[in-house]
Amino acid sequence: MTANRLTRRAALSAGAAAALATVGAPAILHAQTATLKITTWGGKWGEIMKGELLPAFEKEFKCTVSADQAFPFVPKLQASPKSNPVYDVLHTNSNEQWNSLDLGVVEAKLDHKKIPNIADVYPYAISDKIVGVSIFTSAIGLGYRTDKGLKKPTSWKDLADPALAGMRGGYIIPVNSLGQCHLMMLGKIYGKGFTDLDAAYKALEALKPIKLVDFTGQMEKMLLAGEVSMGIIHDSGVLRYEGQNQPVDFAIPSEGVMALEQVLNVTPGSKVKELAYAYIDYMLRPDVQKRLSETVWYSPSNKKVKLDPKYDAKLFNTEAKVAQLIQPDWKWYNARKEEIDTRVTRLLKG
Amino acid sequence: MSARSIDAGRMAYYVLNGAIITFLLTPIAIVAVFALNPTPYISFPPVGITGRWFAKFFATDDFMISLWLSLRVAVVVLLLSMVIGGACALALARGRLPGARVLTAFFMSPLMLPAILTGLALFQVFQLAELDRPVWGLIVGHTLVAVPYVLRTTLAVLANFDTRVEEAAASLGASPLRVFFEVTLPLIRPGVIAGGIFAFIVSFDQFPISLFLVPPKGETLPVVLFNYMKFDLDGAIAAASMVSILLALSVVLLLERVIGLKAYVKL
Repeated sequence: MTANRLTRRAALSAGAAAALATVGAPAILHAQTATLKITTWGGKWGEIMKGELLPAFEKEFKCTVSADQAFPFVPKLQASPKSNPVYDVLHTNSNEQWNSLDLGVVEAKLDHKKIPNIADVYPYAISDKIVGVSIFTSAIGLGYRTDKGLKKPTSWKDLADPALAGMRGGYIIPVNSLGQCHLMMLGKIYGKGFTDLDAAYKALEALKPIKLVDFTGQMEKMLLAGEVSMGIIHDSGVLRYEGQNQPVDFAIPSEGVMALEQVLNVTPGSKVKELAYAYIDYMLRPDVQKRLSETVWYSPSNKKVKLDPKYDAKLFNTEAKVAQLIQPDWKWYNARKEEIDTRVTRLLKG
Repeated sequence: MSARSIDAGRMAYYVLNGAIITFLLTPIAIVAVFALNPTPYISFPPVGITGRWFAKFFATDDFMISLWLSLRVAVVVLLLSMVIGGACALALARGRLPGARVLTAFFMSPLMLPAILTGLALFQVFQLAELDRPVWGLIVGHTLVAVPYVLRTTLAVLANFDTRVEEAAASLGASPLRVFFEVTLPLIRPGVIAGGIFAFIVSFDQFPISLFLVPPKGETLPVVLFNYMKFDLDGAIAAASMVSILLALSVVLLLERVIGLKAYVKL
């Protein structure tokens, strides 16, 4: 009984200690240093950012970087006061930047004078299809198994091969930008152009039965596990397994690949705009670009980046290669997203 | 005829229980299989046995930091929920408050609102107050949805509470404080503790509220797992799930050992 009482007391004391430690410990004192609030990805990208690149930036610019890896970024930005936004720099794919522009939570146009490295980017990185600046891109094409007797796909139409019934992979279009890109591509291939939705819907329905996933990571694993023999995926999702003896490869269809850009933009209400611009410029530096490119297999936007041969051979890092990239018109797509979501959900039901 | 119907009834009882147990335990078994499968992707059937995913889980700083934070937050939420939920239940059941039923419904309302909206609303409040995202804000959010569990279980105990026991203690000269600590509290303890365990689990597994309230570099385990899944869907996720399940089980067993939970199973 006595032992029981002592144990209970010890347990309560431990609980109280944990309470104090939990409430008190994370009260990080930022002292007088400026804090730059950004969003960033997780996975390997996050490891390099948190482990190397952000500490180096903090040291050079004598600041603290608060990097949020927890989605969803845009709703959080939208819910915070515009005069004191939760982020200073928003990192998302291109479609979300267009959404953010509509919501008025990112700048319509970046001040290029404050980003010297922007002078060295490929035109696609600052084209009229981009809000902000694209610091990297992936190419959306076709991933396929090399051990299933399939010929390397040469066209987007190869995904419709009847032999792939039930073994082809796509995305839940309302929640995945790769699926949305593919829908636009179907309009171009089977209809009058990227905006030919009727042709796209018809072609999409012809792909049934098709396995659908939410995230690109799931598509990667379905390809690796052999649950699908061919699927829509970005090149980095396949190239990252290079040298690991996996029977998967990436194919660039002759009609072109869609660009999946990694875009940075500044929030209008940021109180540390100079630092925000400095961060964007830092992310465009050739050494920073090379480090990230060779970690996550993203194609760098800066033309001056010299990649090691194995990356140089595969990534989109020359004028000729980037010419194959097709940039989706997200402004057009987002304006119709609700209608498209309803239609494709009905089409792919079951 | 009678014996046959009893046998049939017993058989149905066993079949039904077996089905329920299978239904509850199959997901855990599948997670265990994935956690031990050596392939770098989740696949079935397994091709071997490995401990590499557990090694990866324990060697990854993000997982360890978030696991420790989740545990600490859940302990604090457990304590706060027991105090707040227990006190509210006593006030509602015994305080002769006007509109007690309405107040009960009000306190239970966080369970009726989608948690993601609660998270978004709290996030907005903290932002407007320029508090950013403090860890105590996360604790407030978790406590908000955990208190109703303690409230409900304690009210259930209080519904069958014989107030004559308290009256007897008072008539024998015990002060109101002594009556509370030596009579009332021990009697309502089963409800408070049972609710506290729910509160711990609700907090430890909490995702929708945490999604909005976790600070940068201060993500809880469910949020870290969600983000990890978007980029690396490998066996480490299954290993993390196994560790979470074992930890939750350990807490229940620890409480049983320390507080004697077995005595309250009848609740």
